Amino acid sequence: MQLRPILSSLRRHKLTACLLVLQAALTCAIVCNVVFMIANRVQRISVPTGMAENELSVIQSTGIEKGENPQARHTTDLAVLRAIPGVQSAVAVSYSLPLDQSESSSGLCPSKQALDRAMQLNSIEGSGCMEPAVYDGTPSLINTLGLRLVAGRDFQPDEYVSAGKPAVAIVTRALAQHLYPGKQALGQSMYDGDNYIRIVGIVDKLLRPNLRKPGVDDDSMIWPQRPDRAGVLYVMRSAPQDRERVLQAASAALLKASPSRLMDPKRMQTYTEIRAEYFQRDTTMIGLLIASALGLLFVTALGITGLANFWVQQRTRSIGIRRAIGATRGDIVRYFQTENFLIVSAGVLLGMLLAFVLNAVLMQHYELQRLPWFYLLVGALVLWGLGQLAVLGPALRAAAVPPVVATRSV
Amino acid sequence: MFDYYLRLALRRCRQNVPMVLLVVLTMAVGIAACMTAMTIFRALSGAPLPGVSPYLYVATMDGREAVDKDNPDYQRPDSLLMLADAKALVDAHRAAQQVAVAQSLASLGNADGKRSEQAYGLMAYGPALQVFGVPLRYGRPWTEAEQSANAPVVVIDTHVAQKLFGIDNAVGRSVTLGQRSFRVIGVFAPWSPRMQIFNLGQRAGNVMGQDENFFVPAQASLDAGVGPFTSGECGKGAPVVSFQSASVAQCRWIEAWVRLDTPAQVGDYGRFLAGYAHVQHDAGRFVYPPQARLYGTQAWMTLNRVVPDDVHLNLMLAGGFLLLCLVNVAGLLAARFLRRQGDVAIRRALGASRRDVFLQHLVETGLLGLIGGVLALPLTWLGLWIVRMQPVSYADAARFSPGVFAILFALSVAVGLLVGVLPAWRMCRQPPALQIKLA
Repeated sequence: MQLRPILSSLRRHKLTACLLVLQAALTCAIVCNVVFMIANRVQRISVPTGMAENELSVIQSTGIEKGENPQARHTTDLAVLRAIPGVQSAVAVSYSLPLDQSESSSGLCPSKQALDRAMQLNSIEGSGCMEPAVYDGTPSLINTLGLRLVAGRDFQPDEYVSAGKPAVAIVTRALAQHLYPGKQALGQSMYDGDNYIRIVGIVDKLLRPNLRKPGVDDDSMIWPQRPDRAGVLYVMRSAPQDRERVLQAASAALLKASPSRLMDPKRMQTYTEIRAEYFQRDTTMIGLLIASALGLLFVTALGITGLANFWVQQRTRSIGIRRAIGATRGDIVRYFQTENFLIVSAGVLLGMLLAFVLNAVLMQHYELQRLPWFYLLVGALVLWGLGQLAVLGPALRAAAVPPVVATRSV
Repeated sequence: MFDYYLRLALRRCRQNVPMVLLVVLTMAVGIAACMTAMTIFRALSGAPLPGVSPYLYVATMDGREAVDKDNPDYQRPDSLLMLADAKALVDAHRAAQQVAVAQSLASLGNADGKRSEQAYGLMAYGPALQVFGVPLRYGRPWTEAEQSANAPVVVIDTHVAQKLFGIDNAVGRSVTLGQRSFRVIGVFAPWSPRMQIFNLGQRAGNVMGQDENFFVPAQASLDAGVGPFTSGECGKGAPVVSFQSASVAQCRWIEAWVRLDTPAQVGDYGRFLAGYAHVQHDAGRFVYPPQARLYGTQAWMTLNRVVPDDVHLNLMLAGGFLLLCLVNVAGLLAARFLRRQGDVAIRRALGASRRDVFLQHLVETGLLGLIGGVLALPLTWLGLWIVRMQPVSYADAARFSPGVFAILFALSVAVGLLVGVLPAWRMCRQPPALQIKLA
């Protein structure tokens, strides 16, 4: 394929060619960044919680009977819930669940010295102390949530306390590493300012109720404390397809067991719904980003097709002459395809530069990382593909121009 | 001349309808995307209380009275004060105007208890209505004497007045609030800040301002058992409090807002505030260095990220989209115009100047832009409707307004002219002789 005739004909359409290059460059720059932002958000919303998420459902209940013993109420309620067909297990927690937004957290130090250091620094940063999310719950919490115990053991029945602080805890692997870097965390005693708490078990993963920043999102601790308030969250585990039915049955059964309680219909949810609610803003934004990326690509494709159509009409005569002196249909199609490839390539080159500039601007204003280079590669491939697709129609139309046109004056 | 160009432009538009449609629709979509994002941005920027909030400042300090081992850092400026501190700041009268307020949610009932209305309102210590510029329709705000006597008086808005009494002018009526009966001394038209400005630390995620239906003196309200919406942060040993509790004596729950008109006043008041906090710290009440600071309303909102980042990002995306549409249309127009070199050559040969040719083409693109704008109108409406359907906190901001219409009109003509400049310039550059030859 000869490039010279293409280049010299482009030189005669400098303005339109330049505008087309600019268009491809803008699309490349914006789409690369948009796709990067989509990828970031998708990564954010797909963070695992460590639980058997699609088997859990949650129901909130607040007892309003005066003088009622909350923990006796919870025990009765749990027995009622476990009797529901399909419920494999059920536990009560005070209010905290991963991604459920109500968080209880506590300062926790690997040793008393570390706490003194934190007091001295007047800051928790750099002292070795951490601020994990704290989860409580009735026995068999680990099993019900489906957490994976990687070291140690679950709590023993006599370790559960009804009021006050327990003496043992199970921590996540991340928290264990943060508190005791390079050491065996199992069996260590953490200090919380008043008491020592011994680590008896380590679970693989358990996310916080509220995400903070990637490094500490997985710093959580479970301790064997029974919920002791009238308001409580019951967590039930069942087969995924049973969840809706289980929730209906649970609310009916709880009301039957004791009608003097408040149950907010909004807090009768499967865990999937809780998760969706937490990331709702991100999901909306992902939709918008995808829509705008598609819009950009579509407009660019329209522009390319529109201009190519014009050029085909304009060059009908010269196409006829080329056909008359021996060019095949394939030659004509390839001519337009090569022309488009050249224009888009120039656009992509400029677009890569623009993409980095745009990325730098975005980084200043939003929490965004540097754009990895392979997004540019993907952007380039997409634009090349799009350009070829958009020019195919006009190119085929050009190839259909009969050689006899050369003999007519247009 | 202008209407001749216009007729020419219309005739040309009819010649190649698909092309014109493509150009016009591309512009319309770009304009609509930009207008949708701009409408939301406009609704969420600017002063939350026009004419008032640029002069309002909120006092922040680390007023904790006990060591908090869970949070030894004072990571974010805190505007919540104990009532005693707020009263001291207001009573000092060091600013042009000052008031302490806290958001409340309470049930207001009429005297016989037959009608009641759940309403948001502000508990205030000081002349709240005057400071925030709430326009009274009937009656008067409470006086200092009434406030210091803890007189049970309340100012309600016409919405509550209608609900409870069926009339606007409810001055003199009695309203049950908590366990006491309050006398209505004033009625104001429905009022809300344009954006959330009160108690930002605890109400993250709220963007749009809350409709405030009543104003009540803080102490009288507490006496009646009606407390703030959130009890704020309570010291150790305080009774366990829940939402809307009135036992907040040991909690920090109220904010002090002051009006300062000049930078000198701001500086003076800042020093006064720091001095006050230091005295408390030295006396041993505040256990941490207080770091007292004044924040202007806008800075306070920015610090607390009232307007989500997404809104800015949307505007940038929409702007990028419009830019791309413009380049696209400019390319199409250039091609379209260049095909007509023959017509232009004849006009030039007949004596039209370059300026005439340039203007003629600008009129044509301006017309196309205008048609694009007209098409963008329903598209913008559609875009706003889609945003309102989304579960986002700023969905309420997505409303069409006359101001938006004016911007859209201006934008579409500007877009039309902008995309036309390059192609039109290109058209008038070629010498007439060459163009005739080409034709």
